[in-house]
Amino acid sequence: MENIGALALLLAFCLAVYAILGSLIGKWKSKAFLVLSAERAVYSVWFLLTLSAGLLVYSLLTNDFRLSYVAGHVNRDMPWIYKFTAWWGGQEGSLLLWTWILSCYCALVVFQNRRKFRDMMPYVTATLMVTQAFFLCLITFPLSPFQVLAVGREIMAVPDGNGLNPLLQYWAMAIHPPTLYLGYVGFIVPFAFAMGSLITRQPGDAWIHTTRRWALVTWLFQSCGVLLGAGWAYAVLGWGGYWGWDPVENASLLPWITGTAFLHSVMMQEKKGMMKVWNMVLISSTFFLCILGTMLTRSGIVSSVHAFAQSPIGKYFAIFLAAHIAVVVYLILDRLEYLKSESQLESVVSRESSFLFNNLLLLASCFAVLWGTLFPVISEAVTGEKISVDAPFYNRVNVPIGLFLMLLTGVGPLIAWRRSSLDSLKRAFLWPTVAGLATIGILMGLGIRHFYALISFGLCVFVTWTVIAEFFKGAIAIGAKTGQNLAAAMVELTHRNTRRYGGYIVHLAIVFMFIGFSGAAFNLDKTIEVKPGESFRLGAWDLKVKDLQQGENPNYRWGHLVVDAWKNGAYVATLKPEKRSYRAARTDTTEVAIRRRLNEDLYINFAGVGEDGRPVVQAYVFPLVSWIWVGFVTLIFGTLICLVPSKVRLQFPKTKVLGVVTQDAPVPR
Amino acid sequence: MRRSRVSLLLVAAALCLGQSGSQLVTPEIRRVGVHLGCLCGSCKNTVADCAMLECHYSKPARMKIIAMQKEGRADQAIVDQFVKDEGRRALAVPPAEGFHLLAWIAPFAVIGAGLVLIWWFVRRLRRPSETPALDARVLDRYREQIDRDISQLD
Repeated sequence: MENIGALALLLAFCLAVYAILGSLIGKWKSKAFLVLSAERAVYSVWFLLTLSAGLLVYSLLTNDFRLSYVAGHVNRDMPWIYKFTAWWGGQEGSLLLWTWILSCYCALVVFQNRRKFRDMMPYVTATLMVTQAFFLCLITFPLSPFQVLAVGREIMAVPDGNGLNPLLQYWAMAIHPPTLYLGYVGFIVPFAFAMGSLITRQPGDAWIHTTRRWALVTWLFQSCGVLLGAGWAYAVLGWGGYWGWDPVENASLLPWITGTAFLHSVMMQEKKGMMKVWNMVLISSTFFLCILGTMLTRSGIVSSVHAFAQSPIGKYFAIFLAAHIAVVVYLILDRLEYLKSESQLESVVSRESSFLFNNLLLLASCFAVLWGTLFPVISEAVTGEKISVDAPFYNRVNVPIGLFLMLLTGVGPLIAWRRSSLDSLKRAFLWPTVAGLATIGILMGLGIRHFYALISFGLCVFVTWTVIAEFFKGAIAIGAKTGQNLAAAMVELTHRNTRRYGGYIVHLAIVFMFIGFSGAAFNLDKTIEVKPGESFRLGAWDLKVKDLQQGENPNYRWGHLVVDAWKNGAYVATLKPEKRSYRAARTDTTEVAIRRRLNEDLYINFAGVGEDGRPVVQAYVFPLVSWIWVGFVTLIFGTLICLVPSKVRLQFPKTKVLGVVTQDAPVPR
Repeated sequence: MRRSRVSLLLVAAALCLGQSGSQLVTPEIRRVGVHLGCLCGSCKNTVADCAMLECHYSKPARMKIIAMQKEGRADQAIVDQFVKDEGRRALAVPPAEGFHLLAWIAPFAVIGAGLVLIWWFVRRLRRPSETPALDARVLDRYREQIDRDISQLD
């Protein structure tokens, strides 16, 4: 079976190379049959990769311990669901998942466009298959998931495997990597269309219209992947952190930031025919950052607890990345004329300018994260001295940038396209600003003095006001015209322009997340050794450790504390934080107990047992943290609305300045 | 009952093999610890924030801070001692001097460069010489078109 799997990978690699050559030669020599056969090769690659992936999963589920990958990531007593998720628990398997998802996307793109963009598609196919071939090369040769354990020429099997890392045996971790990969890999599609458009000098913005939904779906997957990872860290690692600025976490954030900038700036190209070069740069950067992130996770260039084992594939990634950057830079410089802006900027105080500033801040934030991630490596290379870049660096640099971005989230929708007059600005900004400042004043009156938290809460109210006002103004106008009630009018309004109002809902999601982030300024924590029967106090909470219970199952032994939580003298809940000891992996993990509420989470971790046998409890109060997850759900909802076709088909006639009115022109009626 | 409780505690102790003793982070330790990075390799927290109970770096680092505070050393002297022992990687953030100043400057330099780029972009796209004066007849034609379009609206 392992031979069939390895052979399928080898054949898929050969067919991917054929698809590249067939597409390009077919296009250059005008041989339609070659282009068609290259497209069929894409389907064949998908079939062969599906076969390989199926064989690997079958081996994992049936404990085929002759395979090195299975022996390293599965043990007999693991639940079947985690045997399945072991597919992406290690380097080779996760690369196979990456490649398989890419093959699914490639097959879908080729199928969707089998009768469209015949000029551009050969180049799109070739671009997609270059990446496909690269990853196939990795899993066919240096990192095959079908390597067998052998002594000399004798294939052997171990009696039981090492099992999956216990920290990964958690529901969010079961879906976090595939979701993240769906995002990482998906950005290749708009990149491939951008390259196809650039190479063939396509007139208009066909590539943007075609790939807008792709970019949005991909961005949604990336958002879900990042936030599921944050949720996993919060619920599993036992310290209540959802973001630790680890290089691997940063690697997933970087393409998300540039992807966000891209989703904003494409509006400028669609509506005004501006920023064409910039959009090419943005989508290319997003693709490069996806590859860079994959490289950082797998090469050992930066040290991270989340990274896969160090492997020699870093240099292959570096060559692949450098070659792509060189080609893209050449193509953009060579076709600058074709990427010329179609309209002019009429005023600095305009929606167009707000998009420019939004892009600048997003890119600055992306750079700051990338810079912090790579600076230890750069510093060591330049000065020979090791240096740490820890969470305080990222927070000091990114918090102000994030707050400015939040300000722009509120300001952008208030400014008109083309130009805004002073009067209209006054009208638009007055009440949101008053509401924001009033919030800051009230919070200061309540004794809050944390500077960034105050600013953040003020901005959250400012942005919420602007978003809600947009909905109300539109809905009232529709209600007045159609006689619908406010709720129905809001649905109608959203349905008429799903992209705009879905976008506002996403902005609201970001507000919710900022509320959650700001709550961190008021966290409380206590680490204490307590005997069963004893109590301790944390803020307004009294926590009584009632009992210590224990048990076991085939996979692990467990012990959990029974903790009664009282707030202001009233009983609230009983929590059971647990500690597990996994047999195969010989590793301990903690299963924290969390009482989640919108105002605050009570978070208790059974951290271990002290020197005198007393349980050690880590208790935390995390104010407002649940708003991050509320924001997560709202973000999904808003993005899904953006994906619904609008009821009114929107046309974006490009604004063109024909000329200026001379003094002797007639006065407008 | 007492016997079963003791046995439960022993089981729990076995579960947590290798863990002994907890440590509390007092405000005094926190005051110094925020300047020192945790070098355990598993997190990006500071010695003050690291929540791993038996962290092989933060726990001894906190003990060291307590010992030096008992000797009456100032906060900065304790930080300097860590730097002397571990090198400048002991600091949570790059020092704002020499080459490492670049770590702090670069992100804001990028914003500055971006602002210059936007200024250039705005100037280029707003160049008035490219905008011809509009003929009054052309303007009238557009106005009539607008009036016609508006009159057709319900």
